[in-house]
Amino acid sequence: MSEKPNTPPSQENRGAPGAAANYLLLSAGSIFTSMLIAGFIVGYVLDEIFDTRPILMLACALLGFIGGIQKVIHLTKRLDNVQSEKKDD
Amino acid sequence: MGTVEYIQHHLTNNTIGEGFWTFNMDTIIVSFLLGALIVFTAARLGKQLESGTPGGFQNFVESILDFVSTNVRDAFPGHNPLIAPIALTIFLWVWMMNFMDLIPVDLLPWLFQLVTGDSHAYLKVVPTTDLNTTLAMAFTVFALILYYNIKIKGIGGFIKMFLFHPFGKFFVPVNVVMTAIEEVSKPLSLALRLFGNMFAGELVFLLIALIGGTLAVGAAALFWAPLQVLLDLGWLIFHLLVITLQAFIFMVLTIVYLGMAHDEGH
Repeated sequence: MSEKPNTPPSQENRGAPGAAANYLLLSAGSIFTSMLIAGFIVGYVLDEIFDTRPILMLACALLGFIGGIQKVIHLTKRLDNVQSEKKDD
Repeated sequence: MGTVEYIQHHLTNNTIGEGFWTFNMDTIIVSFLLGALIVFTAARLGKQLESGTPGGFQNFVESILDFVSTNVRDAFPGHNPLIAPIALTIFLWVWMMNFMDLIPVDLLPWLFQLVTGDSHAYLKVVPTTDLNTTLAMAFTVFALILYYNIKIKGIGGFIKMFLFHPFGKFFVPVNVVMTAIEEVSKPLSLALRLFGNMFAGELVFLLIALIGGTLAVGAAALFWAPLQVLLDLGWLIFHLLVITLQAFIFMVLTIVYLGMAHDEGH
């Protein structure tokens, strides 16, 4: 690719894409389910490699479940922060 | 044709080949034609640009461009001249493919059967109700995410992300699996959301169209025909919002994920 890319993000932009986080909120449900499915897929691949079926598949599905919940909490926390900031104003 | 056969017939692709090498020809041709339509329209408009007082269509296209570039500015940290064209292409193409859902469900399959002379020929005209399309787009975005992750953070930074995120340095094996799951879930969530919404929308259109099946009964048509028109119109108006929202979400999440790949702190 010939584009001239990629100045690193400026400090004030980093980690604070407010609008972007709102759009991610729209898909919190599908992110959660995708994490669970992705857990099964990664576990299935690992099981194939290590010949341990179904232990790793179940373990990774559990990790995906935990990660999915963690992600949804992380996303919705942002919303709480924005609301409390508004109240403070 | 019974109710179940009618729905199954509408949701079956026109295919060539077998097994893994099955090609859904209707999906490929319709999505290619829609992409070509976008390119053709853009090229034609590009030749007739007016700088003084732009015409109605140029105004409309400029408002879409403005909308997309505003979203890129909001959601994408840093600068990469490739992101806005990618976002615009995704938005327009997905919207066009979704829009095929608003064409009466029986019209194009009926015309196709008329042209081919085969009264049972399959034709599924909405490419985004085919999981292959949405997964292909999501995997393309995923390839770009991996490319920029490695380009911006370097191989070392990319491996570090796998080793120490999200539980810190004491849980390296768990971190590797967790980050792998997180990365795999990105294209999955992109693809499944679009597919699920469009497939469900198409199914509702089919169910509403089935009301017409009772028209032969006679006097009952006086009730069922207006009801079908009313329901169809209602769902069509609502679905216009859905197809736009789905195209918009696909575009924005692409920007967000690529933005994360550009963020060295992530």
